[in-house]
Amino acid sequence: MSKALGITLRGIEAVAVEVEVEVTGGLFAISIVGLPDAAVREAKERVRAALRSIGISLRGRIAVNLAPADLPKEGALLDLPIAIEMAKQVGSVPASSQPAVFVGELALDGRLRRAKGAVPAAMLARKLSLPLYIPHENAHEVSLVKGVEAYAISHIAELIEALRGEVALRPIEHRVPAPQEIEVDVDLADIKGQAGAKRAMEIAAAGHHNLLMVGPPGSGKTMLARALKSILPPLSDEELLEVLLIYSARGLSFDGGRARPFRSVHHTASTVAVCGGGNALQPGEISLAHRGVLFLDEFTEFRRDLIEAMRQPLEDGKIVVSRSSGSVTYPAQVLLALACNPCPCGNFGDPGFPCRCSPGELERYQRKLSGPILDRIDMQISVPRLSPDELMAVEPSGEDSASVRRRVERAREIQIERWKAWGIRSNAEVPEALLRKEAHIKKEARAFLRSAMGRSRLSGRGFTRILRVARSVADLAGEECVGASHVAEALAYREGANIYGRPS
Amino acid sequence: MDARLKAFLLLNACQCFDGRAVEALAQRGIKPEDLLEAPALLKALGASESSISAWSDLQRDGWAEREWEKCLKLKVDVVCFGDGRYPKGLLDLSSPPLLLYLWGASPLDDGGVAVVGTRRPSTYGLRIAKELGRELAAAGFVVVSGGAYGIDCAAQEAALEADGSSIAVLGTGVDCVYPSSNRRLFERLKESGLLVSEYPLSSQARPWRFPKRNRIIAGVSRSVVVVEAPQRSGAMITARIAMEIGRDLWAVPGRVDEEVCRGSNLLIFDGAQPLIDIPAFCSLLGGNVIFEGESQMRELSVEEKLVYSMLKERGERTVDNIASEAKMSAADAMLALGMLTAKGLVASSGPGRWSAIR
Repeated sequence: MSKALGITLRGIEAVAVEVEVEVTGGLFAISIVGLPDAAVREAKERVRAALRSIGISLRGRIAVNLAPADLPKEGALLDLPIAIEMAKQVGSVPASSQPAVFVGELALDGRLRRAKGAVPAAMLARKLSLPLYIPHENAHEVSLVKGVEAYAISHIAELIEALRGEVALRPIEHRVPAPQEIEVDVDLADIKGQAGAKRAMEIAAAGHHNLLMVGPPGSGKTMLARALKSILPPLSDEELLEVLLIYSARGLSFDGGRARPFRSVHHTASTVAVCGGGNALQPGEISLAHRGVLFLDEFTEFRRDLIEAMRQPLEDGKIVVSRSSGSVTYPAQVLLALACNPCPCGNFGDPGFPCRCSPGELERYQRKLSGPILDRIDMQISVPRLSPDELMAVEPSGEDSASVRRRVERAREIQIERWKAWGIRSNAEVPEALLRKEAHIKKEARAFLRSAMGRSRLSGRGFTRILRVARSVADLAGEECVGASHVAEALAYREGANIYGRPS
Repeated sequence: MDARLKAFLLLNACQCFDGRAVEALAQRGIKPEDLLEAPALLKALGASESSISAWSDLQRDGWAEREWEKCLKLKVDVVCFGDGRYPKGLLDLSSPPLLLYLWGASPLDDGGVAVVGTRRPSTYGLRIAKELGRELAAAGFVVVSGGAYGIDCAAQEAALEADGSSIAVLGTGVDCVYPSSNRRLFERLKESGLLVSEYPLSSQARPWRFPKRNRIIAGVSRSVVVVEAPQRSGAMITARIAMEIGRDLWAVPGRVDEEVCRGSNLLIFDGAQPLIDIPAFCSLLGGNVIFEGESQMRELSVEEKLVYSMLKERGERTVDNIASEAKMSAADAMLALGMLTAKGLVASSGPGRWSAIR
C-alpha cells in the first residue's frame, strides 16, 4: 500500500517524509509522532477542521507517524500529506491511488495556503519521478523547474476529487523567463552625474569585483548599488534554479524574472541573519544574495565579528552553517558592495561642508577601513557629493542600464571562455598565480604598474587586485591583452579607502 | 655628573627658571652650581616659595642623579644654556629654555625650516605638507616640527622618506610618545633625526606644555612655514613668536571660506610671505633645487594633457566635471587620471575629487 509522501527541509534540500496513519477505536484523539516541531504538531487541528469542511469526519484514536522517525520535521507543509493519508484511512480516497508528494498548509476551511520549500520538493519529486501536488500560490516558482509533473491546487476538495479520478488536473506548464526579462528598479540613467562611479560599476559588474564606495551622505551610493543589479548579466537557467531553491527554502518568493537578487543588509543585523543559522538552519542574507549583490550600507558601523564571519564564505563561495542540530552548506557566491562615509561626520573632503571630526576619530575610522575584509575588495572608489554648480555643469547622463548590461554580458562571455579550463567564471575569482600566467598582460603594462607601484606604495596584494581589475577593463574593451592604459584606469579605482591621503 | 649639570637639571625641573635667570645670576657672579650649596640664593633670583621647596625636595631625593642615569641608559643627550652646542637661535627668545634633552642621531643646529600647522588638515593641506617635507629634505634642509597629528607628522614623515633629516620638538619628555599613533615616526626620528624637549624624562602630555614648546620650534629654525592653521592654534603661536624674534615667516594660502585656513591666511594679510611655489621657495632659501615639470608635460598623451592642464589651471574637479568639460567618456577620463596619478601629476584631493599636484 502506498503512503503519501511529504517533505521536510534540510537546508535547501527536501527530504522525503513518509506519512502513516492508523485509526483504532476509542475516544477521539489525534497524536503525531516522529519528532514533529510545534507547527507540525498543531497540524492536527488544521487537518481535522479542513477534512470536516469537506464532509469527512474523523472518529476514534488516530495515530500519525512521520518516518524516518529520527529526523526532526518542521513547518506547516506536512498538513496536506497528513490530511490525504487520513482521508485514505476513512475511505474517502482510494487506498490504491498513485503515490505522490504533497506539500501545503491547510486553512480551517480546506483552502491551501502557500508553503515554503515548494522548489526543493519539486526537485525531490523529479528525482523520485513522482507527481507533486502544491498550493496554487506556489505554482509560479515550481513552473520554473524543468521536468517535474506538478499540479497546483487551491482547495483540498479539488485534490480529493482528482485522487478519486473524478476530475483530471492539468500539470503546471514549465516556463522559463525570457533571456532579457529583467526587472529594473534603479536605472543607471536615473542617476545624474557620477560618471566615474558608474564606469566603476560597469567594471565591477563585468569582472564580478567586490566594491567599496566611500562618499559623503547624499552622494548617491545606495542608488549606485541598486543600479549595479540592473547592469549584471541575466541569471542563466541553472543559476535561476539555485537562487529559487534558496528563496523557496526560506519561504520567500523570487520574481524578478532573470534579474539577479539584491539584498541590502542593515548594520544592526545579527550574524545569524546574515550568515544563516538558527534552530532551523535557515539560509542568511549572504545566501539569499547568491549569484547577485549583497549590499552593506554604512559598512563601518557593522560589528567586527559579523564582518569577520563573512570572510570565509566570500572566499569559498559557500557557507557551512553548523549548529548542534546539524550542519548545512548553502551557496554564497555574491558580489559584495560596501558603502560608507569618509569620516564619522561624513563631510571629510567635501568643499563647503567642514568636517568636524577630531584627529583621533579620523584615525579610528581609518583603521576600520583597513580591516582584513578589505583584502577581498578589488575596487575601492570614492563618490563625491556634487555641489549644485557642479551638478549644473554636468551633461545629462546618457546610457541606460540595458546598453551597459550588453557590454557587461559580452565581457562575461569572454571571461567564461578564457577561464573555462580552470572552472572559473569571472576575473575576480582567478587566483594570483594563474592571473600572472594566463591573463595576457603585456610587458609594458607590467613595467608601467611597477613604476606606479613605487609612487603609490602598492602592496603585493594591491598589485594583484589592480591586475584583476585591469583584466576586466580590457575584457570590456574586447582586447586580447592587458595594456598599460587598462592598468592605468584600474589604478584610478583604488583611491577610495585612502581618503585621508595616507599610504595604504 | 658634574655639579653644573646637576644644578641645571634641578633648576629645569622646578619649572620656573629659564636661560635669562641664569644670565642674571652670572651678572651677579653666581654660577648655577653654587645654588647646590646655598639654596638661599634662589630667593635672590626671585623664586617662589613653592619652587624653592620643590628644589630642596628634589635635591634631597637625589632626583638629578637618577634622571642623569636614565639619560645615560637611553643615550639621551642634554645640552645646557651657555654650552657651546646650545643653539644660538634660542638666544633670540625672550625666555630661552634652560636645557634641552636630545634623543637621536642628528645634531641640533639652528638652520632648519619649520613646517607647522593644524592637527586636522584638509587633504590639500596634508599634500602640501608632504610636498614641502620632501622638497625641503631633497634641497638639504632639516625639517623642524612638533611631531603632532596632521601637518607636523606629514611633513616630517615625508622628509625622512626623502632621506632627509628632521627634528621634532616635543611637549612631553623625549621618551614619551604622544600622540601614540605617531610611534613609528618617533622611532624613525630617533634613527635618522632628532627628538628634542625641554621637559624632564617621562613628562606626560599636558595642555600647557605644547604652546610653550612652540617657541623652541621657532627658535631653532631659520624660517617658519605655516601650512594650514585655524585662528586659534599652536601653529599661530609658533608664527607669532617667529615674527617677534625675526624669523622668516611663510604661510601657504588656503581657501577663504575654510575655517582651517583662516589663521594661515590671516598671517599673509599681516605680512607673512605667501608660499605659492614650493621649488621656488626652496631655491629662495638657498637650497639646490631641480625643476622638472616641463619635461614631464611632453610625455603626456593628448587626453592626459587636456585633463592635467584643466586641473592645473582651473582647480579641483570631480570625474563628472572633467569628463563633461573635456568632452570625453568617463572611461577615458578615469584612464587619464590613472595615468596622471601613476606619473605623480594628479592626486585624489577628497572623495571623488582630483587635483593637479605639480
